[in-house]
Amino acid sequence: MSYTLRGRVESRLGAAVPALVVAIALQRWWAIELVALMLALGLVLDLCVYHRLFAYQPAWSALPLGAVELGLTYAAMRALDIRAPLDLALLLYGVAWLSGQLFAHALYPRLRLEYAEGGGELGRLGGATAVAVATVVVGGLGAAYATRQPTVHLHGVVQGPIVITRSETLVGGVVRGGIIVRANHVTLRHVTVVGGDYGVNIEHVEHVMLDRVRVVGVSLDGIRALDAGVMIDNCSISSPAGSMVTGVLVSYSMGRPMSMVSGCTIAGTREGIATHSSMVDVMDNRVVDTTERGILLGEMSMGMAHGNDVEGAKGIGIICMDRSVCEIDHNTVAGARVDGTEDPTRGGVAIEAFFYAEASVHHNTVVASPGGVRAFDNSLLEQR
Amino acid sequence: MAERCAIVGSGLAALAAYATLRHGGIEPGGIAVFGTHADPTEVWRTRAASIRQRRMRSESEGHVAAPAWPGLALRERRLTPVWETLTNRYHPPVDLFLRHADAVRARSGWEQSFRQRRVERITAVDDGFELDGEGPFAHVLVATGHPGLAFPERLVGDPRAVHAYEPHGYAATVAIVGAGMAAATEWLNALAAGAEVVSIRRREPVRRPLNVPRPLLSKRGLAPFHAASPERRASLLRELSTPSYPSGPEWDEPVAAAEREGRFRVEASLNGAEQVICATGFRRGYLEDALLARLAADHGLETHDRWIVLAPDSTVPALTDGRRTLSLAGAAAQWAFPAADTIAGAKYAAHAFLRRICRTR
Repeated sequence: MSYTLRGRVESRLGAAVPALVVAIALQRWWAIELVALMLALGLVLDLCVYHRLFAYQPAWSALPLGAVELGLTYAAMRALDIRAPLDLALLLYGVAWLSGQLFAHALYPRLRLEYAEGGGELGRLGGATAVAVATVVVGGLGAAYATRQPTVHLHGVVQGPIVITRSETLVGGVVRGGIIVRANHVTLRHVTVVGGDYGVNIEHVEHVMLDRVRVVGVSLDGIRALDAGVMIDNCSISSPAGSMVTGVLVSYSMGRPMSMVSGCTIAGTREGIATHSSMVDVMDNRVVDTTERGILLGEMSMGMAHGNDVEGAKGIGIICMDRSVCEIDHNTVAGARVDGTEDPTRGGVAIEAFFYAEASVHHNTVVASPGGVRAFDNSLLEQR
Repeated sequence: MAERCAIVGSGLAALAAYATLRHGGIEPGGIAVFGTHADPTEVWRTRAASIRQRRMRSESEGHVAAPAWPGLALRERRLTPVWETLTNRYHPPVDLFLRHADAVRARSGWEQSFRQRRVERITAVDDGFELDGEGPFAHVLVATGHPGLAFPERLVGDPRAVHAYEPHGYAATVAIVGAGMAAATEWLNALAAGAEVVSIRRREPVRRPLNVPRPLLSKRGLAPFHAASPERRASLLRELSTPSYPSGPEWDEPVAAAEREGRFRVEASLNGAEQVICATGFRRGYLEDALLARLAADHGLETHDRWIVLAPDSTVPALTDGRRTLSLAGAAAQWAFPAADTIAGAKYAAHAFLRRICRTR
């Protein structure tokens, strides 16, 4: 196809309609923002690169160009801090790419006889479609901006506990006595919590995001999510004010969207990261010197522990227990210690399946952990 | 419905135009087709059979139905042609192309519009055009095809000579004159028949996948072509009319093998071959077509070199206005579309013709 510049732009805008419909159906502002980003990048490429580079563009080039645009879109999404779940973002991109191909090779030539000889121009239909798409995208972005979560910047030390009962973003500051989240769509960013029973206590809500939250000196749990869907990224939990502290606890959240704990550093707690009856991905965390277990996936949880470093755990490094189903891969467990109770299930076991649990275990590195990798009490441990 | 449109000609370009008009909502009763062959594929079919052509040079969308999609690759109901289409390597089988053309003709109502008659004269009148006194028709598209086979003068009357597009067999030694698609096809045919082949040509063939570079098939490449001066445009058309055929091992390997065996060689002039096949294409220029020559002379149409000067939409400017349209399609329309003698060219003229009819309906 030899596109004219106008043909490229009209074809691209027209083919964005399915992705836009999906974005609207998702009812998430990030989806609108992502479609706008894809369109903006595509139009810039059309104007500055493709039109100059391709006097004729063969059909097969859609594959490499699609891959390039995907990479650029992802990079721009990260740079602009568009917080889209990766799987849905990929799905949306896939819809946009596929509809682009179907429109260009089937729908446009079917509906407009002169499509190919017209260089991809859509005539009056093209102009109307372009205006409609631009209106919806700009309108959507405007609505996203107008209804965006209010952002509260904390300065200095604030006496808590703070109770959040509306969608909002809390940025910065030091909160004494903990934060309680009681609303959906809440984001905490760069917040430090000192003291209290729970550092951040999230109950019966979802779409909560904790980004670079630091918790020190709590007496029960660093971050507690009960019946909640949370994304916890790059948190830090240390200096517990008691011997029963769990770093991150996600429990009874099976009916909520999947949670994720990634990139956190947790030190000196009783348990590092624990899940109960929840679907959680535990990825790329560093858990150090726990006194009970490093990472626990328990009580019929379904989840994955991937790429974590667990060091100096007393008793057990990573455990899948109580009828849970777990994928445990690419973790490093070093220096798991015998806890001195003669109980073989706590004999410095690096990775353990316990009580009817099913664990798929592969590509882990185990160092200086006398208990090795083991299954107890009717559990299945599949090693590859 | 009164006949407001007429198509003069009954070949593939006429069928493509007819299918386009029907797709545009014009009933068979509103179109008259004047031609010498009731079957619009007949002439082309005979020529393709003569050179034993098995694959089209065009690609998946090179068919006579109005919408480009679905193309012929999808109609094969196999994945390989679809994949080959994505990589520009698909060329539809000739029999599939012809079967599809037959189907388009059957469902279009062609028979209802067809009148078996050669039009000798087109006369402009106030509200359209009379065709040998019949009419007037407000909109006329002339798609009379190539004006005839080109035969080298020195071979006229030579009993050894036959044109590639006429039915023929192969002697033991065959001289093939020409260097285009038909010549290349004939080299392979004659070699496959066990003949010794001498290629008679004045220049090395151009290797090109399609008749013209791809950008010239769309507005992007056509815009500078249409903006060029008449001299530049004519020069480009002459350049594009030099013989060419696609590159690829399917063309080169049999010839290379025969060269090694001493069964294929190139010479500049004829020798004593038993048979001479003239793969020299068609006569060129509007003056070779009696109808077009008369049309230009009667109405004092602007011409340049061997072309009637056309507007970018393939219409004759002096005879086209808000009430009437005279369009050319096929080889005679190269002034508007350099690949006018292809299916893409036929459709280009037909689309513009339909647009004008819709505008004045």
